Amino acid sequence: MTSGEKRVEIEKELSFGPVHPALIEPYRIRLFVNDEIVEDCELNINMAYRGIEKLFDGLPVERALLIAERVCGICSHVHAWNSVRVIEGGLKIDVPPRANYIRVITQEMQRITSHLILFGHAFEVVGHETFAMRSFLLRESFMDLISYVGGNRVMPSVPIIGGIRPRADLTESLKRVILERIDEFEEKYKGYVARIIEDPLVMSRLTGIGFLTKEDAIKFHATGPTGRASGWDYDVRTKMDEYKPFDFNVITDESCDTKARIVVRALEIFESLKIIRQAVKNLPEGPVVNRSWRAEEMDFTTALLEAYRGELMHSYGLDSQGRIRNYKIRTPTPTNLAAMEHACIGDHVTEAILTIASCDPCLTCCTRAEIVDSGKSFVLSDLEIIRKYGWRK
Amino acid sequence: MEDVPLFVLGLIASSIVAAAIGVLYSLVLPGIERKVQARIQQRIGPPILTPGFWSVLKFGYKKRVDPNAQMPRLYRSLVYFGIGIVVLLFLFTTPYWWAVLGWGSILGIAGLLKLEEVLYVLMGSQSQSFLSTGMPVPDIAKGSKHIGIKREFVEQHSGERALKMMAIGSLPLYLALLVPFAMAKSTMIRSVVAMQNPGYIMSSSWLSAPLPSSPVLFTLPGVLAAIVYFVGYVMLLNEKPFSILKAKIDLIEGGVLEYASKLRAYYYIMRNVLMFALSSIFVTLFIGIPFDPFMPVMMVLNLALSLLLPIMLAALVAFSPILTFRQIYPAAIGLSAIGVLALIISLGV
Repeated sequence: MTSGEKRVEIEKELSFGPVHPALIEPYRIRLFVNDEIVEDCELNINMAYRGIEKLFDGLPVERALLIAERVCGICSHVHAWNSVRVIEGGLKIDVPPRANYIRVITQEMQRITSHLILFGHAFEVVGHETFAMRSFLLRESFMDLISYVGGNRVMPSVPIIGGIRPRADLTESLKRVILERIDEFEEKYKGYVARIIEDPLVMSRLTGIGFLTKEDAIKFHATGPTGRASGWDYDVRTKMDEYKPFDFNVITDESCDTKARIVVRALEIFESLKIIRQAVKNLPEGPVVNRSWRAEEMDFTTALLEAYRGELMHSYGLDSQGRIRNYKIRTPTPTNLAAMEHACIGDHVTEAILTIASCDPCLTCCTRAEIVDSGKSFVLSDLEIIRKYGWRK
Repeated sequence: MEDVPLFVLGLIASSIVAAAIGVLYSLVLPGIERKVQARIQQRIGPPILTPGFWSVLKFGYKKRVDPNAQMPRLYRSLVYFGIGIVVLLFLFTTPYWWAVLGWGSILGIAGLLKLEEVLYVLMGSQSQSFLSTGMPVPDIAKGSKHIGIKREFVEQHSGERALKMMAIGSLPLYLALLVPFAMAKSTMIRSVVAMQNPGYIMSSSWLSAPLPSSPVLFTLPGVLAAIVYFVGYVMLLNEKPFSILKAKIDLIEGGVLEYASKLRAYYYIMRNVLMFALSSIFVTLFIGIPFDPFMPVMMVLNLALSLLLPIMLAALVAFSPILTFRQIYPAAIGLSAIGVLALIISLGV
């Protein structure tokens, strides 16, 4: 605490976890409160460590894809896609336009399911079970469509290096089904959003809590809808070549509160529908995969992608045999965590959990490494690990 | 004085019949509530008997788990006290109890309800589950910006919330309860029923079914008080939108968190009987149909009309979020104002 900061007296500490009963995520929340008001918040992750980055080391790059997809069940496609974008960028592998379109379609379908899951969780935390269940019901349309495209609901495995799996190519009948389904979905979804906005009780729970200013969002690098709900118009999709053929808006809101985070996501679903429609209607003819590449030594390469919760980074290098070295993943969640801790302050205890859920309800992907040394445990950042132990050769 | 043994015999018989039917019937109510809620949410929902009856039976057969409460015996006994309080509360709807030591009055009902509320404060202050501070996570070893701060169990926080709800949350219910008594210009339940249903008080045949001629519910202060009573009913049952005592998102289950196996079964019985007792009191005071074990038609009518509040509760729960104290305080003040208005009008009537 600096000398300029106001010292706050804390009455007591309330702690929840390591698995939160409502969010069902492995993290521990420590709230420092005065009566009901949260004066400070600590979010402790590292309650579940999978060591997924270590699993990549030494694997042939084609097999890495299978693991990358399993970083998260909700964001499976975005991890798989970004994983192949690293090698495609590093080795300059051309991807057929048709494959890019189908990758974008799958990405936007999964973005819709991800946002609807967030609504489900957020409304469960608000205590409105009907809205939560309706959200999961709406999500089913897109879970079905994802399985029609990729063959699986959760792990569609659409991208491969150089394109997409041939079985994920869209037939004319599937294109028709997608267009019909999204029309039906849009009709129902409009009604759902209208009912949420018109519900004064729900709005009273969402409005004016969990403030995160634009300056704080930038400071904590709270990307994705969390940052956009604070008025920061940062969206990696606007810089991506794959998204250049599509017309869509970056939704922002200046309200900076929990309601804004819900509204931004609600409106982003309409933008995703717009992108899917454009992609299906203008789907280019041609091959869906480029097989003319071979794995060779590649420098440490980084790829950024707009995941459903914010900016996602994958980076790795390849050795001379095409095996992976130093795979690093930075999901949007670690940077959102700091924003969540900050946004909770000043709210009631019950609202603090809602603020966390509105920023990012899924935290498992962010735990990286815990070093246990002489009985003491330390959580180190990637940079600290590199400084202390050096690059793995 | 010769009538005293007969009265005691009648009191015992009516209490046994009423308690048995009341407890059994109350075990069906959660199932109906959950079914209505599920239908609103386009789900099939559980079988009617599962949430109330079978779950109680199931918990009755679970292995005993001792609570980690500060005073485990006191904590365990609270649920037995609770059952006693809510059963006694329900018995006030039976005519025999109206004459016992003058307890069949607004004072008896309000006093028992207040006791029931105090139980949640005590439960919250006693319970110490492993789900929060008790969890073996090296919080202190990891360090913190705030050192030496009192670490509180979530149940204790629930106890503090229960105290706040006692102070303000349940006020509307008591105001609404006053209205029928104010209209009858008496503190006794008998007078309230007599005002609405004079035929019942004069009836001597056990097969007769005297219907109320002027129910309080069909008057302006009655309607206002009924609305306030319903919201107070939701508050007292700690159901959404007023379930802040046991909000799953932060307090998990609140003070009742450590009730497991048989104690959990008893807690369910306590909650279910409270749900039925408050409904039955509503039917007695606002419609004028008491639960008379010696007049089967009146008893069945009371049972049937007692479904009204749980069904309305289910619909409210399905469409409501959990409110925080930011919303609860203004809501309680607004409802209290409506309750006071109903009281003023009823005094005029």
